[in-house]
Amino acid sequence: MNRFLKIAIRNLLKGPTTDPYPFGATFIPDNLRGKLEVEASACTACGTCEEVCPSGAIHITQNDGIYVHTTWYNTCCYCGNCEFFCPTGAIKLTNNFHTANTKEEKFKFVTTTFIAQKECIECGVKFTPPSAELITRAYPKVNEEIENLNKLCPECRKKLAFERLYKCMKH
Amino acid sequence: MSIITRSPFLFRINTGSCNGCDVELATTAMIPRYDVERLGCRYTGSPKHADILLVTGPITARSKPYLLEVLDELPRPFVTVAIGTCPASCGIFRDSYSIEGPLDKYIEVDVNVPGCPPRPQAIIDGVAKALEIWKMKIRGQK
Repeated sequence: MNRFLKIAIRNLLKGPTTDPYPFGATFIPDNLRGKLEVEASACTACGTCEEVCPSGAIHITQNDGIYVHTTWYNTCCYCGNCEFFCPTGAIKLTNNFHTANTKEEKFKFVTTTFIAQKECIECGVKFTPPSAELITRAYPKVNEEIENLNKLCPECRKKLAFERLYKCMKH
Repeated sequence: MSIITRSPFLFRINTGSCNGCDVELATTAMIPRYDVERLGCRYTGSPKHADILLVTGPITARSKPYLLEVLDELPRPFVTVAIGTCPASCGIFRDSYSIEGPLDKYIEVDVNVPGCPPRPQAIIDGVAKALEIWKMKIRGQK
């Protein structure tokens, strides 16, 4: 009897257990896998996410000088493979779970990110440089030389490397 | 002009779902924590009473004739809600030989709630949207 009274009083004080959503705030776990977010400065448009996506939700298309990263949520299964395999850590799944959409917005229910290409300082060709996140992962110490090489397109970088090799061999 | 004051009935069809979405639907309806009946609707067991149709699963070849049979039995107008990624676009099963989906091949889908499975809160969102569409449909505005 004593135990029963304890529970009854506790339940009276606690109030209803019903989640107030959609009329109030709800509890959202931090690790909930919801809509994703792409950090445009960290992304190198390598296409790993497109490759590993089991439901084909991610597409990367190239317009001139810009890459468009599109995620369509009506086929996304929120597995988090893109976040797990992203080599630069540009993709992060947020805990945004608001996915209900009407038929008018079915094909507009996407996240679009634009990844701009850079111009080579030598020849002016547009290219996608490795992002700062990728460089810090590849090299233990990032010095000025690496940063300068990052401003060149792959062709110019090749040329510079061979020039340097030629000079070494001459001496 | 409020000609209709009645409450809508929810009816759900499982068309070869993995049961994940069905568990979430049961959670939304049956436990007091999420309580979809606060929105003024409740589940029914008969398609002849239904106003809002909830579909889960990617429409397998096996379940397709039963789905079409039930769709014929529903009174018009009704609102269709696709629960989960499968009925919306077939998701990971999209190119399978035994999948006859997505759902909009057979019927107009008014609300999609993607997720694998969607959260109970997302399902409540979808039902709330479906309720608005149902009210508009019943007044002949849509």
